Amino acid sequence: MSISKQVESKANPTSLSEPRWVRWLLITLALAFIALFLLVPLGVVLTTALRKGFDYYLIAITRHDALRAVGLTLLTALVAVPLNALFGIAAAWVVTKFNFPGKQFLVTLIDLPFSVSPVIAGLIFVLLFGARGLLGPWLLAEGWKIIFATPGIILATTFVTFPFVARDLIPVMQAGGSEEEEAALVLGASGWQTFWRVTLPKIKWGLLYGMILCNARAMGEFGAVSVVSGHIRGRTNTLPLHVEILYNEYDFAGAFAVASLLVLLALVTLVAKSIAERRLEVGRHRRLSRGDREFSPAGRLADEQQEAVQDE
Amino acid sequence: MSVQISGLNKRFGSFQALHEIDLTIETGELVALLGPSGSGKTTLLRIIAGLEGADSGAIQFYGEDATARAARDRGIGFVFQHYALFRHMTVFENVAFGLRVRPRKTRPAKDEIARRVHELLSLVQLDWASNRYPDQLSGGQRQRIALARALATEPKVLLLDEPFGALDAKVRQELRQWLRRFHDEVGVTTIFVTHDQEEALEVADRVVIMNQGRIEQVGTADQVYEQPANPFVFSFLGNVNLFHGRVQDGQARIGSLELKAPEHLAEEGLPVVAYARPHELEVETTPVETCTIEGVLRHANPVGRVVRLELQRIDNDELILAEVPKERWRELGVKVGDIVFCRPRNLQLFAADWAF
Repeated sequence: MSISKQVESKANPTSLSEPRWVRWLLITLALAFIALFLLVPLGVVLTTALRKGFDYYLIAITRHDALRAVGLTLLTALVAVPLNALFGIAAAWVVTKFNFPGKQFLVTLIDLPFSVSPVIAGLIFVLLFGARGLLGPWLLAEGWKIIFATPGIILATTFVTFPFVARDLIPVMQAGGSEEEEAALVLGASGWQTFWRVTLPKIKWGLLYGMILCNARAMGEFGAVSVVSGHIRGRTNTLPLHVEILYNEYDFAGAFAVASLLVLLALVTLVAKSIAERRLEVGRHRRLSRGDREFSPAGRLADEQQEAVQDE
Repeated sequence: MSVQISGLNKRFGSFQALHEIDLTIETGELVALLGPSGSGKTTLLRIIAGLEGADSGAIQFYGEDATARAARDRGIGFVFQHYALFRHMTVFENVAFGLRVRPRKTRPAKDEIARRVHELLSLVQLDWASNRYPDQLSGGQRQRIALARALATEPKVLLLDEPFGALDAKVRQELRQWLRRFHDEVGVTTIFVTHDQEEALEVADRVVIMNQGRIEQVGTADQVYEQPANPFVFSFLGNVNLFHGRVQDGQARIGSLELKAPEHLAEEGLPVVAYARPHELEVETTPVETCTIEGVLRHANPVGRVVRLELQRIDNDELILAEVPKERWRELGVKVGDIVFCRPRNLQLFAADWAF
């Protein structure tokens, strides 16, 4: 088929791409897909949220339970994201700067939270910390309530969102190599100074990108949190859980009003993500064009002429 | 002496990168570690720097044991092959880095740091670039910034890993001479790694020739070129011709050639190999003495002021490379396909079982 296409395009050099109707069909299909699966649901969320009027919308999102859910969601993200940034940097550092037996296994382990169903992840924590779990009875005796309480929600969220930062940093750090770190060490910098002054500036956009994705997932996580939270209204309900409860109680306007908050968060995250992505790209391009210049005689000539002038 | 290495071994998995290395480097010397890739030269440099640990053996700096000392406490400067400049810092900040990370009590004052950095930048002739970022500079300029940065901490030993490897021929040639002058000016003990024999022979006071994790020979450029310790050194430092033969009655017989075998090779019947460089072969159109080798001229290549000749021996079809000056070539007046005779002016004899 590709051969016949080549022959065809040779015979008719003005049409270098598909026939017009194919192009329009593909574009229409893509737009229809976006509309059906992205725009329509978004519209439904907003219209349903405002169905009982703006006043009801305001009440729905400022009710005590809703505010508590927002608070708990923010708290969870506030703990889980920095923790995972820390773990992610540590894991990426180990994987990219050192060679040791079992490294590939560790990389696979990092991905484990992605491959395990969130519900199973939640159950793991119930089995570990629940009242009849492995560590639960002892912890309860010590006065630590993990499951059906905030710590359990944070733990489950941290587990589920763990791979984001590490996954984004590993390629960034691999591309960066470790020569700059070695240079810093030889120049007398301590490990800590090397990290803050050399490594962190190098990876900051990749790190931010990973943290944004991690944050989006932490705020939206449903499955694992649903298992460990116990759905206690106003106490252990995060935003997604609160939406579910309202929906199950046939308060559609309320449910979608709260859901619109999550949509808003998602939009903010997307904007932040695209900014971070662009900065990452800029860095990559700069590195690339710099590499090109070394091999391009014209660029080097210009450099040398300039150098010669300035040397005088 | 400023660096003394004794009994150094290093293994990567099943690969023996360094094997019982002993090496002494005098204060103020400019030494080249020369060898093909995989010979262990970069590994040796990185172990001296403390970026890599040795499996066994010891390193002393100025008589003090430094084997277990961390890289940052060794008082060395290191220049990486790909410069490893901090790309998010300006040239000034790059050079100042080594001074700024010092603990507060040994850190120079701010204006003292600025003075030192500008001094170093003018030493490498790049003072005008202090506010630029590394990606705004050419390869040669970046290499000089890397050198200035390494010198900022006043290292006692300067280590350079393939310093000109990533540059093109012309810039390389300039920087090579510049490094030599620079070393004579600054006088810091310097060790650099290279796989380019010309670079090593031209720049260094002494050349350390390495192969398969061992040191083959240490000596001045003249010594290693004129008196190679073994066939590896001989063939690594330029083209060579091999002649196989045997020892008989204390004489090495190579074809119709006879020369006196040195004492350690005087064993009767011992197979030997004689080495001669192309320019050490004289070419004649008639057999002048008994010691001549007959061959058919296959190619003649004029290269600059010499002509490279490829001869095929009549007796065993082996190829011989000879180099004659242009004038001599005109005098000879031979053309491809003619039979010529050649006579080595100088032959180095080695036992034939020498493995490499």
